[in-house]
Parts: sequence; structure tokens; C-alpha cells
Amino acid sequence: MSTHIAPAPGSSTIELALKIWRYDAETGEKELKRYEVEAPDWVTLLDVLDIVKDQQDGTLAYRKSCRMMICGSCGMRMDGAAVLACKTRMYDIAKSGHEPVISPMGNLPVLKDLVVDMNPFWGKVRAVKPWLDPGYDEVAEKERIVSQQQMNVIHKEALCIMCGCCVSECNSMESDPEFLGPAALAKGMRFVGDVRDEDDVERLNTYNEEHGIWDCTRCYFCNERCPKGVDPRDAIAKLGAESIKQGIDHDMGAKHAKWFVRSAMTTGWLRETELVPKTQGVISAIKQTKFALGLAKRGKVPPPFPPHVAERVGEARALYNLVKEQGREGALGIVQGEHALGRIEFTEEAGARENAPEIQPGVEPPPAEG
Amino acid sequence: MRKVAYYKGCLASLSAKELDSSTQALAPKVGLELVELETVTCCGAGDIHEAEPDYYLHLNARILAYAEAAGCDTLLTVCNVCTLNLRQANWQLKNDDALRQRVSDNLERVGVPPYSANVEVRHLLWEIAEGEGYELLKQSAHKGLKGLKVAPFYGCQILRPSKLLGFEDPDRPWSLERIIEACGGEAIDYPAKIKCCGFPIIQAREETALGELIQPIEQAKEAGADALVTPCPLCHLSLDAWQSKLKAATGQDFQMPILHLSQLVGVAAGLEESELKFKRHVVPVAPVLEKLEV
Repeated sequence: MSTHIAPAPGSSTIELALKIWRYDAETGEKELKRYEVEAPDWVTLLDVLDIVKDQQDGTLAYRKSCRMMICGSCGMRMDGAAVLACKTRMYDIAKSGHEPVISPMGNLPVLKDLVVDMNPFWGKVRAVKPWLDPGYDEVAEKERIVSQQQMNVIHKEALCIMCGCCVSECNSMESDPEFLGPAALAKGMRFVGDVRDEDDVERLNTYNEEHGIWDCTRCYFCNERCPKGVDPRDAIAKLGAESIKQGIDHDMGAKHAKWFVRSAMTTGWLRETELVPKTQGVISAIKQTKFALGLAKRGKVPPPFPPHVAERVGEARALYNLVKEQGREGALGIVQGEHALGRIEFTEEAGARENAPEIQPGVEPPPAEG
Repeated sequence: MRKVAYYKGCLASLSAKELDSSTQALAPKVGLELVELETVTCCGAGDIHEAEPDYYLHLNARILAYAEAAGCDTLLTVCNVCTLNLRQANWQLKNDDALRQRVSDNLERVGVPPYSANVEVRHLLWEIAEGEGYELLKQSAHKGLKGLKVAPFYGCQILRPSKLLGFEDPDRPWSLERIIEACGGEAIDYPAKIKCCGFPIIQAREETALGELIQPIEQAKEAGADALVTPCPLCHLSLDAWQSKLKAATGQDFQMPILHLSQLVGVAAGLEESELKFKRHVVPVAPVLEKLEV
């Protein structure tokens, strides 16, 4: 093979075919083109695109830079799912005989082939004020030490490489293109949760606006697609929890969430019929009367009286009072059970750390030895 | 018969009683003995997780603790949102001994049995899509669906995040299709079957939610589906009850009947209307029943 991607000595090659959506925004021409490639067995999707461009069609357009999962340039879709091309190994696909379809990411305008216009993406990132605001202009003489425990609240958000894979399949953004979206909000949480940032209330007020955190429909596509384990939906939940902790609860989404808490404490079960006025306010709820009557005919609007009360609901209320005393509110409550460094897998070959102390949210780590 | 703790959740207890009655009637036919729990509450539906996350964890731990105290190793759910919330809390508790100890101590302090994290949360769909449940399902579905074209709608929180759910490939799920076909129906394929129904924001952001809701209904209709089946009562509520709002917003009157999973299998297994309770649906199911000559 006359390519710079040569098989290593002793390695074998694979044959594979793939189809790529070719598109030119200037002419509007669109075509699904098939390519056949012979490549070393370790190739990634990005390597395959390089081979196609190098040997078969120099007009193919896609973004790339680092080739090692850190620059976030090569986000694209394979069979409809957003992936980092440089993280996607092709061996199993080639062996299965499947011919994947490669297309640009969703929710962003396509410029050419697999290249999307990232301007809307960056506009939303800028809107969350993606920098640390320590609340002073002059740097203090002594550096501020932040403990691992404090950073655990945002350890996942800090991993984001801004590739846009989460945005690609965001179901809310498909329906409301102005939604700030998972990447920008995860970036927002990265600063709201940073103890050095002094602007969290202002930030939360901004993120609580119309196209902010309460637009999230909890489809969890962002968590599923993120190639770095950021879990943007969890970041949005943390922002919701931090907002409610700070008393920023004017949005219907926050009122909706708080009514579930109230319901659980008082009857144990969701007080469904009261949910609409508690979320939307009485006036809006009255406007929904005709719709509600239609549902009531089918038994979909259970009467609030007598309330449907769980047995021994006092336990649920007592638990509420107890956990309130223990102070795991806001984002700290959400990261419980996560092992902050759990994503780093140490192998025997690379030097096992089987007995490494686990650092957990809410628990001070053991002092370092020596 | 396998004994499993049965967690109805809010909807099957109240506005979706048809889900409860059809599940109760179907369970013995697929080898499940449902154990009603002494006392349980709402799982928080993701809302308590977002408002008071530590309280969410304790409420779910309490549900799991009562399932364990009832001597069950499986907690059966019939709702996507309950499934994710309970599995997420269970994952947190199983994953962190210190956390489990604190939560368990708190439970005991208010009179709840402690929780040793020996319960698995499983959705009815998973129980009947493989193994003994699937074999019994095939035997039970003697009346069949006579080639009825059914659009499977998974919804989100039974597929994603897969690290907490993990029963099947979240992009290429197969369980609903397998069940539809085992019951003698024809599974319709369409892209939106794994997307969101919009329910979590249907009150706070109705317009955005309707933009999501229309996709599966429109695509299923275009693909020629007679009905749509879902394993989630929240998806059911938005797909069934909010269809009239789609008509108001778009002028399209889809009249797509929406069935709970237990109802679809229940029809094939010959359950009675008193158990299926189709009268509680907003969009009439009659055209489906006529096609099946029930």
C-alpha cells in the first residue's frame, strides 16, 4: 500500500467499505458515496478518512488535529451516532462486513461533507461565561489551594474537550435550537461548582433563563455520546440542584421539581392533579381546564381529595428532615457514589494500583504518605 | 413462579391504573409472582434527584430496603423513569460502602429496615424479552396479534444512560421487536423509536416537548403502524393524552392508539377488558381491537 499509514511489522490488514455523505453548502449538492479501503487492522475511522482523502478523493472535507482524543475536532456521526473519529476503531466493523454510513454531526449547520459550522456551538459556550471569576483583580500573595474533595464535584465537567458530540443528538435542541445545550451547560457547571469562582449566583440566574437548564428533556443522549465521560445531563442536574439550593426557583421547571419533593414528604406519592397549578400557576392552569376535563373523563386526573397517601409516610418526612441536617445538598448530593478517579484504569502492565486510596465526594482523602 | 417485589410507581397507582391491572393479570402467565410492598413512595421521577439529590437517594433506598425486607432479590418496575431512578440510586449505594452505611443508618433511624444492596431493579420488558419469561410469553400469547403492525417506542430512560441500564444496545434495541413478533405482530421500524417523548418538560416547556412528541407519532403513522407500544407510562401519557394538542398545534389528527407493553402482550394472551381497561385511553383503541376481532 502506498500510504503513510503503513502496517506495523507483523500486523495484518483489513478490507472495509464505508459510505460517506458528501455535501456542498454552496451548490446544495448531496450524495452518499461508497469507498473501499485496505488498511492496517488497528485503524480508526479517522485513519480511514485519511486514506480515502490521500488515495481516492482529495476533495473530501473533515476536521482533525490531534488524532488522540484530546483536541475535539473530529466529531461526526457513524450510523447516526456522534463519535470522535479518532477514538473509533474499525476492526470489528470491518470483520462483520457492515458498511457504516458516515455523516456530519446533527444540530449544527453543515458547511461541506463532514464539516459543520461550530459558530452556534461557540456562541452558546460564550453565553455561559466560560472562565473563572475569582472576584478580585489583584492576585493574592499566597496561592489558593483547592482540595481534591472540592474538585470532585466538577471532576467530570473538567474533562470536556468541546467536540460537540453531545450537542449533535440533543433532543431538546432539535426542537428548540436556542437551547443552551449540554456542552455549554456542562461548562457552566464547571465554574458554578468551582470553589474559587465567586460568580455562581449570577451564573445560575443566567442559566435559569428561558432556554437554559429547565429546557433539558432528560433524553440522556448527551451522556451516551460523550467520548470523555463528562455526563452533561448530570451537570445540568447539578445546576438545577445548585439553583434550588440558592433559592433560584422561579422557573416552571424548578417549581415542577420542588412539587415532587413536597408530594413525597406529604403523601409519599406524586400529587399529580396539583402539579399543573403548582408548576404553571393558577391562571395558566385554568386555561388548561378544557384539556384537563378531556383527560378527567378517562380517569387521567385523579381527584386530590381524599389524597392517595403511602403507608407510614411519616418515615419519608422524617428522612427529609434528617438529610437536610446532613448537608449534602446541591451538586454534592449528585456526585455521591461516584469514584472521582474511577475512570482511570490502571493495568498490571502499566503498574497496578490495586490498593490506591479511593477519593470520594464528601469524604476527606487520607493524607499522602511520606 | 418467581417471586419479585412489584413497584408500581405513581402513574400505575393513579392515572394509569390500566397499566397496573394489565401487569397484575399478565404476571402469572409469564412466571412472575408479584409481591406487593408494605409501603413505598414515589421514586422522584428525576425531579427530586434534581431538587434534593440526597433526599432522592434516601427515598429510593427506602423502596429498595422494603423490597429486600420482603425477601426479594428483584424489584420489578413498569416505568422507564422509575427504572432509571431506582437503578441509579442502587448503583450509588452498591458502589460506595461509606455512602451505603450512612444511608442505611439514616433509614434505621426513622424506622425503615436497613439496606444491604442485594436487590436488582429490572423492568418488566427485560423479564419477558429473554429467558424463561420469553418462553412463557410465547406460550401465553395464544390469541396472537394477527399481523397487527405495531411501532415499538422505547423512550429514553430504559436505554440511556446505558452504563446504568445496560440491558441492550441503546442505539439498536431489539427487545420490544422480539416481543411484538413473538405475539404474532409485525414490528414497524422508524428512526424516532429511541428518542424522547417530551414528557419531562411537557408542563414547563410545552412547545419544545410537542416538537419532540410529534416525531414518533408522525413517523409511526407514515410507516403504516396500527398502534404504538411503549414500556413507559410517562411516554404513554404524553403520546396518548397530548396527541390532541398536536392536532391543535399542527392541524394533524393522527388518532394513533398507544398501548402499554402489558396491554399489548395482554391482548395476545387473551386478557379481559376489565384487566386491559382500554376505556381509560384518550385515543380510542377500538380500531386495533376491530382489526384483531377481539
